[in-house]
Amino acid sequence: MAKRLLPHLLLGFSAFLVLLPFAYQVSLSLTPPEALFGSPWPFHHPLTLENYRVVLEKLPMGRYTLNTFLFALGSALGQILLGLLAAYALVFRPPPWTGLFLGLFVLSMLVPFVVTYLPSYLLVARLGLLNTFPGLILPMLTAGYAAFLLRQHFLGFPREILEAAVVDGAGTRDLLFRILVPANLPTLLALFITLFIGAWNQFVWPLLVANRPDMYVLTVAVQRFAGGEGANAWGPLMAASVLATLPTLVLFLAFHRTILQTLMEGGVRG
Amino acid sequence: MRRVALGQGVRAGAGRRGNLGGLLLLVPGLFFLLLFVYWPLLYNLWLSLHEWNLVRPEAAFVGLANYQALLEDPAFWQTVRQSLLYMALAALGNFLVPLGLALLTLQVKSPWAERYQALLFAPTVAAVSVAALVWLYIYLPAAGPLAKVLGGLGLPAPSLLSDPDYALPAVALVANWKFLGFHYLIALAGLKALPREVLEAARVDGAEGLPFLRHVLLPLLFPTLLFLLLSALASALDYAFVPIDVMTQGGPFGHSTNLMYAVYQEAFRFFRAGVAAAQAVLLTLGLGVLILGQLFLLERRNRG
Repeated sequence: MAKRLLPHLLLGFSAFLVLLPFAYQVSLSLTPPEALFGSPWPFHHPLTLENYRVVLEKLPMGRYTLNTFLFALGSALGQILLGLLAAYALVFRPPPWTGLFLGLFVLSMLVPFVVTYLPSYLLVARLGLLNTFPGLILPMLTAGYAAFLLRQHFLGFPREILEAAVVDGAGTRDLLFRILVPANLPTLLALFITLFIGAWNQFVWPLLVANRPDMYVLTVAVQRFAGGEGANAWGPLMAASVLATLPTLVLFLAFHRTILQTLMEGGVRG
Repeated sequence: MRRVALGQGVRAGAGRRGNLGGLLLLVPGLFFLLLFVYWPLLYNLWLSLHEWNLVRPEAAFVGLANYQALLEDPAFWQTVRQSLLYMALAALGNFLVPLGLALLTLQVKSPWAERYQALLFAPTVAAVSVAALVWLYIYLPAAGPLAKVLGGLGLPAPSLLSDPDYALPAVALVANWKFLGFHYLIALAGLKALPREVLEAARVDGAEGLPFLRHVLLPLLFPTLLFLLLSALASALDYAFVPIDVMTQGGPFGHSTNLMYAVYQEAFRFFRAGVAAAQAVLLTLGLGVLILGQLFLLERRNRG
């Protein structure tokens, strides 16, 4: 009995510790200022929605959310599209030096972002794309991960189906969007959500290229608020941070099964 | 006739027409890769040989002077030492702990296993820049929850983020917290992919405890372990970037900085593009050696 219970105890305690910061985040966002430092434990105070009212009055959260949404959507869709084309070519129409091209995609995942930021920033600035959505999105479209993950999944796809479709007169576009996309929909959905959440949480690149207040994304807006008006105003600051985190958390809760499964499959086959 | 066209189109090692078509599909992806990953690497190399900053807005060729200045700068070596220390902390937090949690999860029956997965993975979904603000509150000297809990236990509560000895581990903890779930999932996937028959056979043969771990489990797990360690180490420097930027800006006196953050500071705070690029080149070389070394290890093992 004790042997059966021990893993539960350890895992439960780990989960508790891991989730504790979220509890503080939510609890602080609902705490009146005078009760902030009363107890070291979350949810120990009378709760209030006042902090949310303050934030929504002071910050154009709608605008920031829209900016973030467009940025994340563009980045995720762009990477998926580029990844699909590349993975299809690598698996079903391998050109000469396929290994080299695959290597370029895989190696790109290992290049630390900070190494590429200065040159990318200079390029985007020279193109006049600072504080524009193309400037934000285009450098995110290095689809190494998308191409690699989709390639792993396409490798297991039965070729005969594609060959039969070609006999029926299907072109590349049909094979890709009428057969491979529908057949791999759960993977694509999980990949999309992963990339979307990843872009939603981007901080440094948007901080560099979108520094005009009307172009802020949520992470940058929350940070600027923390460094200015929101300094030491833990309640409103955490209310803003909850609003910034909520969309990704909802997405994860809705699709966690597909996401975890796809990530694990990619990990094993990789 | 269609059959021939299809062979060219769909099969591996196809004729010229299929190959060129495939190449055409690769062009868009390669375009962005070259523009925003590989060209920047080369551009860094060029930049690192020039002096270019606010004082000297025209890039002037200075040869290896930037590198020489870096290698002679004690602050650079402090950053290197801290990067190595940080990688050790990451190995602990993003390798050993996830592995342990994954092993525990295997002991648990299905619906609970999935619940623990979702819960432990949750921080991966949060923006680390936003989460770091919560950790700032947790770390607050005297008034923060950590200080209060430690105080309640009769322990001293240092001002973690402004203490040269504690700033780096405190920042590392945030990065470890954020990325633990991802590595836990990879470890779990690796464990689940182990060939059951081999494990069963070993058990039937009476392998147990430490010998079982050493002669059966570890060799089978080796590729997963290596991948996990590679991922944890190579991304470790990256992980700490945002927590450092949000929580300490590398301080106090550079005691919580790492190479990634140093590159960023040189480029975007001090506007010394040449020095930043030289640092970036050294960093790329260092990580390259690390990654190649691990791949070499894996390759040799696969052959042996």
